[in-house]
Amino acid sequence: MMSDAKPILQVRDLTVELRTAHAPRRVLDQVSLDVHANEVLGIIGESGSGKTVLSRALVNWVARPLEMTSGEILYRGEDLRKMPAQRMQSLRGRSIAYIGSDPTTALDPTLPIGHQIMEKLKSVEPGISNEAARKRVIHTLDAVRMPMAAKRFDDFPFQFSGGMMQRVMIVDALVTSPDLLVADNITQPLDVTVAAQILRLLKELQADYRTAILFVSSLLGMVHGIADNVLVLAGGKAVELQSVDGILTAPQHAYTRHLVREMPRIWEAAPEGRISAPAPQSDDREVILSVRDVSRVYATKDRSRLFGKQHVQAVRGVSFDVMKGDSLGIVGESGCGKSSLSRLLSRLEAPDTGEILFKGQNIATLKGRAMLKLRKGFQLLLQDPYNSIPSHMSIGRIIAEPLIIHGGLSKAEIRGKVAEVMSEVGLSSDLAGSLPVGLSAGQRQRVNIARAMVLEPELLILDETLSALDQVEQAKLLTLFERLQMRHGITYLYISHDLGMVRRVCNRVAVMYLGRIVELAGNETTFFDSGHPYTRALLSAVPAIEHRPYEASTYLLEGEPPNPINIPPGCSFRTRCPFAFDRCATVDPMLTARGKGDFAACHLAGGGMPASVAAAGTTFA
Amino acid sequence: MIFALDFFLRRMAQGLVIIVLVAMLIFTLLRVVPGDPVRTMLGPMASAEVAEQTAQKMGLRDPIPVQFAKYVGQVVTGDFGRSFVRSAQGASTGGSRGGATFDASNRAPVMGLILTAVPYSLLLAGLALGISLLISLPIGIAAGLKSGKWPDRLALYLSSIFVSLPNIWLALVLIFLVSVKGGLLPAIGYQNWTYAILPAFVLAIELSPVFIRSASVAVSSNMLEPYVAAGQIRGLSRARMILVHVLRNAMIPLLNVLGIQAIGLLLGSLFVIEYAFNYPGVGLLMINAVFQRDFPVIQAIAILACTLLVLVNILVDFAATNIDRRLQY
Repeated sequence: MMSDAKPILQVRDLTVELRTAHAPRRVLDQVSLDVHANEVLGIIGESGSGKTVLSRALVNWVARPLEMTSGEILYRGEDLRKMPAQRMQSLRGRSIAYIGSDPTTALDPTLPIGHQIMEKLKSVEPGISNEAARKRVIHTLDAVRMPMAAKRFDDFPFQFSGGMMQRVMIVDALVTSPDLLVADNITQPLDVTVAAQILRLLKELQADYRTAILFVSSLLGMVHGIADNVLVLAGGKAVELQSVDGILTAPQHAYTRHLVREMPRIWEAAPEGRISAPAPQSDDREVILSVRDVSRVYATKDRSRLFGKQHVQAVRGVSFDVMKGDSLGIVGESGCGKSSLSRLLSRLEAPDTGEILFKGQNIATLKGRAMLKLRKGFQLLLQDPYNSIPSHMSIGRIIAEPLIIHGGLSKAEIRGKVAEVMSEVGLSSDLAGSLPVGLSAGQRQRVNIARAMVLEPELLILDETLSALDQVEQAKLLTLFERLQMRHGITYLYISHDLGMVRRVCNRVAVMYLGRIVELAGNETTFFDSGHPYTRALLSAVPAIEHRPYEASTYLLEGEPPNPINIPPGCSFRTRCPFAFDRCATVDPMLTARGKGDFAACHLAGGGMPASVAAAGTTFA
Repeated sequence: MIFALDFFLRRMAQGLVIIVLVAMLIFTLLRVVPGDPVRTMLGPMASAEVAEQTAQKMGLRDPIPVQFAKYVGQVVTGDFGRSFVRSAQGASTGGSRGGATFDASNRAPVMGLILTAVPYSLLLAGLALGISLLISLPIGIAAGLKSGKWPDRLALYLSSIFVSLPNIWLALVLIFLVSVKGGLLPAIGYQNWTYAILPAFVLAIELSPVFIRSASVAVSSNMLEPYVAAGQIRGLSRARMILVHVLRNAMIPLLNVLGIQAIGLLLGSLFVIEYAFNYPGVGLLMINAVFQRDFPVIQAIAILACTLLVLVNILVDFAATNIDRRLQY
């Protein structure tokens, strides 16, 4: 693979420092690397290892308080750092393209995407005619398999999903046929299914356009899928450079070995990582939450009709029971209705139809005092640890607030309870008097947990509560949740897109697609013997280095879920299902039992899908 | 385009409700406050009997809802009634001038009075907006591009000074310095368009701080949007990003300020400034009507001002949705 020709890009002893009021801190410390023509070099490291700084330095985008202090970045022998601004400008976009991790903010929100890509093309290649530029953009949009490319040329950025927008940015980068593409964490904000599509697409395009790619990611599984060689970054230093297989089989540096060992595993049992304590399987457990045929529709403006409204069917007839002491995971792609469902279950909104029984009382219709009283029993924890806490209140006061709202306690009692719950969630009691400013994301999430726990709830709804935290902090909070469950018998509802986490902590899993639950089953069944092709597709797309029971080649989905405004008749998954047949177009499969406590909504749930490929070292239930 | 039709029909209907409510409020308030317009019309010498007769003949003793219904009936046909005090020849009539010159049949139609005054006010307001944008856009945009540096501070100091100048004081000082002492520009009354320059300048100074501030905030916050840095990495020049993208995006908050604050401010200040310069626009008409309890004129101007504000806001929102398609009004 590696040619003997001179590399396109050579980085020599690059050092970047963070200028602070005190001593400068090195963010990158004498990093060197080579990228050859047509090579894909993976760069891997945790958050804070300097990956993004490195990838931005390669397009000479290092702004204060960061500063490149020494080293060379040679593009075909020319040092970017010494280049006049004019020359750098013409190199960017034309020869070196960069794609960042957030495609939704990379373009001007008020202009159609096609026009913006054309604008770039014309500014990089001044001679090109409008006609030719437009043609080339549409052709490239076709190449990334954008459906109806010519029509979408005139659409605005907000009309694209994250995955489609990332395709647009790939078009923007490749339309000038650059020699080198820096892809900085481009799959990070995307759903696993979409990330897998993008990865596959990039691999194909790389072969067609023969562009060298620098692929930066924090997930080894992701880099594994595309790169030839991998550079491992730790604390700003390049600690190891190896072929991608070498990294997995024979990691040299201690940090790399640690990285490979700590990769979250789904199928291969990693005993020390498994938390889930399957709840006692007796049948006489109390049903704490019973959701019966709940639906919610949102109306939005339809620009194409006079006074027109469109109806987004966010939640469509969802039913399930949660037993006391369960940990139920609700998973699905973005837009599947997970978060709408969490808003209904926490009664931030009332459902249009259906009942939500919390300990036998229907919270869908309850109002006023009675509702407030019942609310103590179920609490919601949100994703964003920054905006969910008022910044002007002391931490003790924030945690005491629910007690004050619900009333009936003296000041001393409140103080006592707050102190107790703070120590339980691992917040030092000195923090009670201080403001939340300066708390880390993890500590803020603990404040949120304490604020919910102070009411002694029986059910906690966790809507992506841990998604904003890094791996280490996540693990700590999961341990805390487990301890709280042991001690207080709390029931959890994890709403998450992180299948690895759900595998670790949930004893039951509900998979949502287009506002419906398509599969509801125990943990082992879901991950090893799922009864719905959508579940299998999700699992096949998880970036992993393990051997998996569902092959991506059989299950990987094309495209995105259909628009929840016009849902086709029959099975709503049939438009993307690799096994769809005649009956799927007419008969909508209902959630039916396949085993004890396992349900799936598929005509083939009883058989007809390929058997799962047994993985090495699996623990079949 | 269906969206435009949908938008205008919906917004016009909402606007109509607002206008009717405002009309009702003005109408009722005018009749509740002390001061009998008949007295003003007939003068202090007329007997109580005659006054009462005139009032009844004019329908001023009917219950307020009845009066309002009659008034609305007239207004929809485009007839805003006749002035209580002005004669059709243009001069003020009535008791304030002494003598029995009041002639009910010879009173001036309100619509005519307003239509005569409107062009003058439009000229003044347009000139004021123009001057103010000319002053504030360069300063505001420069401040936004160099936020924290000297242009930003200059903009802040200038706006602070402008905002603390009372308009009536500034008007008097400018009349004295520019017109009386310097003889550079005419100031009182109206003979040709140069008479509008000085009052327009006073209005512009009053409007500028709002524009400077919102332009600088809009530009500086847009400069921090990720797409600006990303654009330069994509190969576009900084100048192009600013000219084509940042200014376009910054237009939206500016338009909103223009629609809501600026037009409102302008309408309010017109009354004061036209009075100070004895400028024959709608403002002067309004001030005189208030002094003379000339209900029909006050009502008509209030309703038309409200209509103008509603229309400008609809247009501004329409422009904004066309710049940024994410907005839904």
